[in-house]
Amino acid sequence: MSSATTTLRAPASRGSGSRLSRHFKVSATTGLLILAAAIVVAPIYWLVIASSKSTSQLFNTSTFLPPSHLSWIANFKSLFSYGGSYFGWWLLNSFIYSTVTATLATAVSTLCGFGLAKYSFKGRGAILAIVLGSFVVPSTALVLPIFLLEHFIGLTNTYEGVILPLIVYPFGVYFMSIYCADAVPDVLMDSSRMDGAGELRTLWQIARPILMPGMVTLFLLEFIGTWNNFFLPLVLLGSQKLFPVTVGLSAWSSALNIAGAGQPLYPEVILGSLVSVLPMLILFPFLQKYIARGLTFGAVAGE
Amino acid sequence: MSQDTVGGATALSVPALARRGAQRPVSPGRRLRAKEGRSGMVMTTPFLALFAMFFVAPFVYSVILSFKSPLTGAYSGLLNYRSVFSNGAYWSAIVRMAYFGAIQVTVMICLAIGLALLLDSPYCRGRRIFALIYFLPYAVPGVIAALMWSFLLEPDLDSALKVPQLLGLASGPLQPLSFRAALYAIMLIVTWEWTGYNMTILLTSLTNVPRQVLEAAKVDGASELSIATRIKLPMVRRTVVFVVVLSIIGTLQLFNEPLILNNIASTGSSLAPNQIIYNTAFSFGNQELAAAQSVILALITIVATVVFFGIARRRGNPLGTTKAVAK
Repeated sequence: MSSATTTLRAPASRGSGSRLSRHFKVSATTGLLILAAAIVVAPIYWLVIASSKSTSQLFNTSTFLPPSHLSWIANFKSLFSYGGSYFGWWLLNSFIYSTVTATLATAVSTLCGFGLAKYSFKGRGAILAIVLGSFVVPSTALVLPIFLLEHFIGLTNTYEGVILPLIVYPFGVYFMSIYCADAVPDVLMDSSRMDGAGELRTLWQIARPILMPGMVTLFLLEFIGTWNNFFLPLVLLGSQKLFPVTVGLSAWSSALNIAGAGQPLYPEVILGSLVSVLPMLILFPFLQKYIARGLTFGAVAGE
Repeated sequence: MSQDTVGGATALSVPALARRGAQRPVSPGRRLRAKEGRSGMVMTTPFLALFAMFFVAPFVYSVILSFKSPLTGAYSGLLNYRSVFSNGAYWSAIVRMAYFGAIQVTVMICLAIGLALLLDSPYCRGRRIFALIYFLPYAVPGVIAALMWSFLLEPDLDSALKVPQLLGLASGPLQPLSFRAALYAIMLIVTWEWTGYNMTILLTSLTNVPRQVLEAAKVDGASELSIATRIKLPMVRRTVVFVVVLSIIGTLQLFNEPLILNNIASTGSSLAPNQIIYNTAFSFGNQELAAAQSVILALITIVATVVFFGIARRRGNPLGTTKAVAK
């Protein structure tokens, strides 16, 4: 739209010289944007190329060009069969941790956010204050004591042990309370009550469809957050079979540097990295809108 | 879709509302409200229960633990804190993070602002596709980004690092993962990971700047550059503060990247405070001292956040004249 207005206005207000300068500005802007995009994409491109190489090809062929002989199939076989065939488990575990955590965190946060936004009760203000106050506590400060407490009750080295702490997502509660306050009209809830629906049924049948976009945002933020998480599972898990893919690949990578640790795992670590990011990179264009809305929420709400 | 649902539900319940209205009890208001309030409270309980177990309890436990003796487990006053204060490695890691933040956060936020302004300028073509590409690294876990870059920064694997040597500019291939250069390598990795994230937040904020203001400036003959720096930027000042604070918190919590780089290239196991805390707790098994270290790090993070917000608020409007523009 803006380009249409400018082309209309350009001949009337300016001469051909400024049209030329405008053309130059567009080219310069595009050039800079392409340069930045190339820097962002280069490592991912390299990962794709490098994942097709054997160890000797990695050290002997051109860094950014595919090898004459692709070793993808051999690398794939080795990736999924190396050292007790754990890689498949790691992928599955990452998926389980992320899906279960994101589902439960979305449910718990939406329920709490809805309760805070749509009802007045004693202690409501205090809960909101606690939720906001918890933002300043860095999450890594909690990892060590969570480990000790879980060790005490026997939750370390279990799926629940990783999932339960990650369900606690104060930002999600804050996000949902604002979202509910804006999106769900009180009139609608009143009329649902008049129909004799209970409060939970009102939330499920009337509010849930309205809240769906916000819940999708929350789900995606938690899914990606859990998929990318490293510190917590690293500390809580001892058994390789329970590792998410980040912890597993990190364990493999530490063997790269130890002399005499056996076969160096370069192709496996590189292809493993690619396999662990590819699904999200492919889905990202479709999810970007929802994710961006969640991220910008804190900033825009502060304006 | 949500619009349809709203309309549908309202249409359905209007007759019902009228019907109920006729047989409404005299004063249901107060009783209903109290009952509803209780339902609201009940809705918050699952979150509060988990929050108490996995947030409050660990936090309190960590504080209690930090006052106990690592040897006897008995209350030992400030023993652990004194030992943190005399721990040179810990404080040099904190200072290193301050240095890291001063450079990396500045560079990253400037890049993010620059890209967001370029994408928001009338000279930008393909805004959506560029915005998507810049945001992509957000989908890459920090561990994977660190692995990827640690290979790309390894001269044996990346022939581009030998270019300066071939041109006669250096005596050997570049060694970005050497002990001394590693901090800058981590800055590069973190900048790659988070510039697009910050740009995304800034761009959304820029999109919300009222178009009339920009049109007015254009009519007054302002150049695009001065519109960008003197109108747009001051109007998204709060968002800039927000992303800077997020980045400062992130810097103090740095862990994944130095750990992976140390795995691969032995860049040091006490580069970041969180690495030291991790080693104290798990390599040396001293949970009590690690608790004290992590309490202090949390306090430094909280103070840094509050102080930066304070400075940003106190200084009012360092970047320009929002108020004048808003009039």
